[in-house]
Amino acid sequence: MDVVRQESRYARSLIEASLDPLVTINIEGKITDMNAATANITGLTRAQLTGTDFFEYFTEPQKAREVYEKVFAKGSVADSPLTLRHKDGKLTDVLFNGSVYKDDKGKVLGVVIVARDVTQQKSSSQYARSLIEASLDPLFTINPAGKITDMNDASVNITGISRDKLIGTDFFNYFTDPEKAREGYQQVFAKGFVADYPLTIRDHKLTDVLFNGSVYKDERGNVLGIVVVARDITEQKRIETELTEAKVFAELATEIAEEAKRKAEEAMRTAEDAVKAKQQFLSNMSHEIRTPMNAIIGFTKVVLKTELSPKQKEYLNAIKISGDALIVLINDILDLAKVDAGKMSFEQTPFKMSMSISAMLHLFETKIQEKNILLIKEYDERIPNILVGDSVRLHQIILNLVSNAVKFTNEGHITVSARLLSEDAEKVTIEFRVKDTGIGIPDNKIDYIFENFQQATSNTARLYGGTGLGLAIVKKLVEAQGGVIKVESKVNEGSSFSFNLKFQKTKAEAETEPGVMTLDEESRHIRVLVVEDIALNQLLMKTLLDDFGFERDIASNGQIAVEKLRTKEYDIILMDLQMPVMNGFEATEYIRNTLNSKIPIIALTADVTTVDLAKCKAVGMNDYIAKPVDERLLYSKIVGLVKKTQPAAFPKEPVSTENRAMRCTDLDYLHQRTKSNPVVMMEMISLYLEQTPPLILAMKNGLEQKDWSTLHSAVHKMIPSFSIMGINVNFENMAKKVQEYAHTQQGSESISDMVMQLENVCNQACEELKEVFNVIKNKQ
Amino acid sequence: MKEHKIKLFLVDDDAMFLKLLELEFLQNADFEIETFPTGELCLNRLSQHPDVIILDYQLDGIDKNAMNGIQTLDKIKAVNPDIPVIMLSSQDKIEVAIDCMHHRAFDYVVKSETAFIRLRKIMTTIFQYKKMEKELKWYMERM
Repeated sequence: MDVVRQESRYARSLIEASLDPLVTINIEGKITDMNAATANITGLTRAQLTGTDFFEYFTEPQKAREVYEKVFAKGSVADSPLTLRHKDGKLTDVLFNGSVYKDDKGKVLGVVIVARDVTQQKSSSQYARSLIEASLDPLFTINPAGKITDMNDASVNITGISRDKLIGTDFFNYFTDPEKAREGYQQVFAKGFVADYPLTIRDHKLTDVLFNGSVYKDERGNVLGIVVVARDITEQKRIETELTEAKVFAELATEIAEEAKRKAEEAMRTAEDAVKAKQQFLSNMSHEIRTPMNAIIGFTKVVLKTELSPKQKEYLNAIKISGDALIVLINDILDLAKVDAGKMSFEQTPFKMSMSISAMLHLFETKIQEKNILLIKEYDERIPNILVGDSVRLHQIILNLVSNAVKFTNEGHITVSARLLSEDAEKVTIEFRVKDTGIGIPDNKIDYIFENFQQATSNTARLYGGTGLGLAIVKKLVEAQGGVIKVESKVNEGSSFSFNLKFQKTKAEAETEPGVMTLDEESRHIRVLVVEDIALNQLLMKTLLDDFGFERDIASNGQIAVEKLRTKEYDIILMDLQMPVMNGFEATEYIRNTLNSKIPIIALTADVTTVDLAKCKAVGMNDYIAKPVDERLLYSKIVGLVKKTQPAAFPKEPVSTENRAMRCTDLDYLHQRTKSNPVVMMEMISLYLEQTPPLILAMKNGLEQKDWSTLHSAVHKMIPSFSIMGINVNFENMAKKVQEYAHTQQGSESISDMVMQLENVCNQACEELKEVFNVIKNKQ
Repeated sequence: MKEHKIKLFLVDDDAMFLKLLELEFLQNADFEIETFPTGELCLNRLSQHPDVIILDYQLDGIDKNAMNGIQTLDKIKAVNPDIPVIMLSSQDKIEVAIDCMHHRAFDYVVKSETAFIRLRKIMTTIFQYKKMEKELKWYMERM
């Protein structure tokens, strides 16, 4: 018995020592016994606990009762979670394990319950839980039937459905493609896991997720369900989409850039084409305008030679002046285009600067007299007599500036000056200045006056005329030759244009202008073939050639011309370029290559761009004449070419070039006329020597005594002798000026200067001719 | 027409031009040419029946008392209105030309490089004209 008691005591002490609450409950659910741990957890004494209702000490009495009933039904229960409440309110989570106990006869007496304190365990589980809840990825547990058993907050947020509503529902229904979700789910069971399986959650914004799952099992290895982590890849997707979009945009941008590049290239081509088109247009325009202008100016000249009433003459002169002005404008535009295209070429030929400028200024004398203003020429004597450069372009520049000055000056004076700025062994720099006392240019306009089609005021054109191209051309001509043009001006006080140009020095002699060629015996009957399609121009050429006394035939195109050449002989061909059937180029090529003829061909062209002239030369034309045809030029070109192709009948007297250079006379003309017959030549020279000195005397006396009529007739008589003796045409023009002054009886400061120059040149001519006379005489 | 040489009178006080003109005509064809520095001298020789007279307009250039071109022209026409006279001048003034034509000059030529050619053309016209006149006369007489 002692042993039994001892054993029983021992068992009791074990029970009491357990930290887990141990309770025995009878069938009614009342507590019959407990250990010390139970008393500690509830905070009540044994006496207070014994006989009370066991379930009362749990937070969920109903659940505790169910577990208790379960123990009776099954005989035991394991790890059923419950929470005990201390009398002060402290809660202890316990796992509830219970089993019935019976008497010796097998009759159930009550239940023994061990409530294991799992507070510690629970907190670590809670920690795991909070980690899970904190995850932004939806986490689910699903049982083998596919029902959701648990989830975290993220799942609730994403689905937008509360926890309660989610639990127990079909997992697959939350995806846009349930079948696919089911397949993924089955894969988890088959393989034990699945990774990055893409699905879309059917929520309010269709969240794209990557589905990762693995099965979870109990301790015995039975599969309980699966845990699914669905990673929200919306952001990733968005980035991906953005990336794709960016890529598309980038490609699009590249395309746009390529398109832009293509367009730029196209624009460049268009611009180049435009330049070409501009050139072509100018060339065409030049042609189209010159052709009718040829007829207008040409016939006006013809009519002017007939007998007319003063009124008719006045009107025709108006037509001619307008026509000439129009031609000047066209030439200006062409010049401008040439400079723009870099096609303007500058000659480098020796010329006499002083004489060149003087001759040009003479052109303005009538205008200046009409306006009663003064033209002052200031010429730096240090400038070398002969310089190398482009005298024609220099003319053009000064002419434009002086013509502006004359146009805008109503009283006062215009000063044209040339000043030597610097000089070295090879070249000189000369400053030219054209100064007037005219209307001036406003400050705010001064920057624009050199632009194309610009004039200082919009009224300028209306009041003073002009196209506004003059200064643009001047500037381009100066700059193209490496010079600089400057302008100073004050309104109502006047303007001053100045520019610097460099000229090469030279020891060579200046070329005199080629005199007009004349006929000799052999070339009297010149047979001309005119190839021209426009009836008006045919008529004009006919009139001109008849006037010269040449024989002429007209062919209205190249084809007809070639036919005529086969049957008849001609001395020269005047060839229009643009004709139907066979144009001038083709005809010339045919004549040169197929007919093998060397007959001189002069191109008649209304189109004087450089391109065409080169083409003329290339096909074998000898020369060209621009329309409107200048009568004298046409005559001298025809005669010159015809003579060139005929062998000279008499060899010319050899003249040493050295002597010739110093001479003012040139006996070429006399040789031609007299066929170098020494007797006739001597006769002519002696006549000149006889006639000239009295004329010089008469001229001087006339000027001194202001006997205008004597001056007039003396100079008048003198005029033809200049060309006969080959004296520079400038002197002839000078004599004509003197004659004009004498006639109108208007004294001018320059007249005495001109008379002096004439006297000098005539005296020199007499000296030279005496020498020649003796040379010829001695040969006899 | 062709039996006898064409007789041509040239009148100009510019000896140089006169000589040159004579030279041109002689080289050109077989003319019988007489030259005169003044109008007076020319008038004295009208009895020689020139076929054409070429007359300078300004004959009083140097000698102020000399007869001028128009006066000479009038005198020629007074003696024989059938002699064609071509006027020459270095002036290209229309008034001068009109003046000449009013005084019954056949034509008017400006002294220039092409003067000679113009003169030749005019002379051809003169002879054509004369031939026509002659033919007309011949037919008229027959009628």
